Amino acid sequence: MSTVLEQIEQQIAKLSSKAVKKNTGNIRTVADGVAKIDGLSDVMYNEMVQFPGGAIGIALNLEEDEVGCVILGDVSQLKEGDEVTTTGKLLSVPVGKALLGRTVDALGQPVDGKGPIDSKETYPVEKIAPGIIVRKSVSQPLFTGIMAIDSMIPIGRGQRELIIGDRGTGKTTITIDTIINQAKINKVGLASGDKNFRPVYSIYVAIGQKNSNVVRTISALEAAGALEFTVIVAAPAGDNPANQYLAPYSGAAIGEWFMENGMDALIVYDDLSKHAVAYRQISLILKRPSGREAYPGDVFYLHSRLLERAARLDGKGSLTALPIIETLAGDVSAYIPTNVISITDGQIFLETDLFNQGIRPAVSVGLSVSRVGSAAQIKATKQVGGKLKGELAQFRELAAFAQFGSDLDAKTKAQLDRGSRIVELFKQPAFAPLPIELQVAVLFAMQKGFFDPVDIKKIADAAASLKAFFTTRKDPLLAEVRTKAALDKDLEAKLLAACEEWKSSYAA
Amino acid sequence: MASHAKVAQKFARQLFAMSVVDGTVSADRVAGVLEYVEKHNVPNPVMVLKAYERLVSIELAKGVAVVEHAGEISAATLAAIESAMSKKYGRAVKARAESNPALLAGMRVHVGDDTYESSVAGQLAALGASV
Repeated sequence: MSTVLEQIEQQIAKLSSKAVKKNTGNIRTVADGVAKIDGLSDVMYNEMVQFPGGAIGIALNLEEDEVGCVILGDVSQLKEGDEVTTTGKLLSVPVGKALLGRTVDALGQPVDGKGPIDSKETYPVEKIAPGIIVRKSVSQPLFTGIMAIDSMIPIGRGQRELIIGDRGTGKTTITIDTIINQAKINKVGLASGDKNFRPVYSIYVAIGQKNSNVVRTISALEAAGALEFTVIVAAPAGDNPANQYLAPYSGAAIGEWFMENGMDALIVYDDLSKHAVAYRQISLILKRPSGREAYPGDVFYLHSRLLERAARLDGKGSLTALPIIETLAGDVSAYIPTNVISITDGQIFLETDLFNQGIRPAVSVGLSVSRVGSAAQIKATKQVGGKLKGELAQFRELAAFAQFGSDLDAKTKAQLDRGSRIVELFKQPAFAPLPIELQVAVLFAMQKGFFDPVDIKKIADAAASLKAFFTTRKDPLLAEVRTKAALDKDLEAKLLAACEEWKSSYAA
Repeated sequence: MASHAKVAQKFARQLFAMSVVDGTVSADRVAGVLEYVEKHNVPNPVMVLKAYERLVSIELAKGVAVVEHAGEISAATLAAIESAMSKKYGRAVKARAESNPALLAGMRVHVGDDTYESSVAGQLAALGASV
């Protein structure tokens, strides 16, 4: 008991003997979530400042005789003349495994009503990206569970792969599928007891999204059992622009914790177009000079410094980034899309026309590319799907050409026929990612011509039957493909025999 | 309007720069500036003078230590504060006492935009924030 009293007395003595120095200022104007402040002569760039009523601000504009701050939180109680104090701290968010399964705001505070988050550590929201020496090249795969992507535009751990397309083309669905697939792989890997297995934790950052969309995403992840491996950072459309501007950096800080502590993480920024718009709004209110499309001059740096934080670190973990960009009328040459295309290591372009034709995921093979992912692709996928991208691109070209003429030679007809089958085979429903071993089995069957006798309209049905056959009756074979990750002669023979078996049962 | 304000601000800064001699605001120079504004056709004189007044008041506040206190404060304490602050900021700082019963006990000293908190009210607020 006496120790407790001593502690209190020590605390009182500490408080009463010290005069605490604070650097203060007064609000000169406050509007649209931005305050102009007199004073604060000691404030640093990006420093957190304390407003009355618990609101926090970030000093973004340090001018000759005033400071421009964005305010995070409730601005309704703030008025001209209110005292503002520097804190000497950079904005930080709680990090760690305690955040898994939770939904937090841009400041890392829980918004899901599941109580406080028991996090021991915090990471600064703004951090300089890892340098050259500590990085390692991308060589480990990150399976999305989407056959068209894993076989043709593979993604590696530590890569930045942009997902770009018009509204309603399935951009978010691809990322949700990827998150669900990571959770599925994690469950299998952790259950196997393999000491070398490295789970991938996911962070989904919703920027400027409708609240209903965020709820739908959370429900989809929960229904698929993926929420326990996922952190949701939400800065929906109703949030002030400062929160929308900060949310991706907060998400990156949460992801960096996993990377720095030897784990792998995946982060989805949904989407960076709205992020740029939020930043433009802040910049215009702060009266920063505007450039093309009224974006401020540092809008490139806004995204480059964010995406550079995704990396694979030598001796540590990795952070893979899937930023999303929404285009208008398929215009990839607009300002923000071209910026982000140039920063990332490739892009998956989704086409409205394909989507409307029922080809989902609507991946445009010609415009999509993965610059570093092929090094991370497993050998089995390369063996069965190495030529797919070329074949499919050739098919699209031929299909466009064939529309003008009816007389086609046998070779062209065969190519068109094969292309149509590949297209049908790549159709995949939402929230149903395929394990890589099953993808290999399906692509193997396709390469060996098992789908050739099937009517094109029945390809999807046949593929579903093949998948069901393999999962229900050939599980050991799938496990072998998964563990070996390459097709040797023995495994090829086994797959061939299994396909023959399926063929006889399917035809019957 | 915005550009008028910017021009006025810029002009006020120039006038302010001329008003400072050896790091302190010179009363003679300020009188000279006011005379200049009155006699010459300065655009938006009110805007200019308001911006000028703001800059001068910020500068003057750096030379004054406003000592808010609850209860009595002795002349010796004020003198000690004056000397300590003058030493700290490397300029002459005059102390001015202002009674503030809301502090409960102790004092709070403002020099420019720096605040030195040593009041019971401030400590209670800090304690409340940390719990």
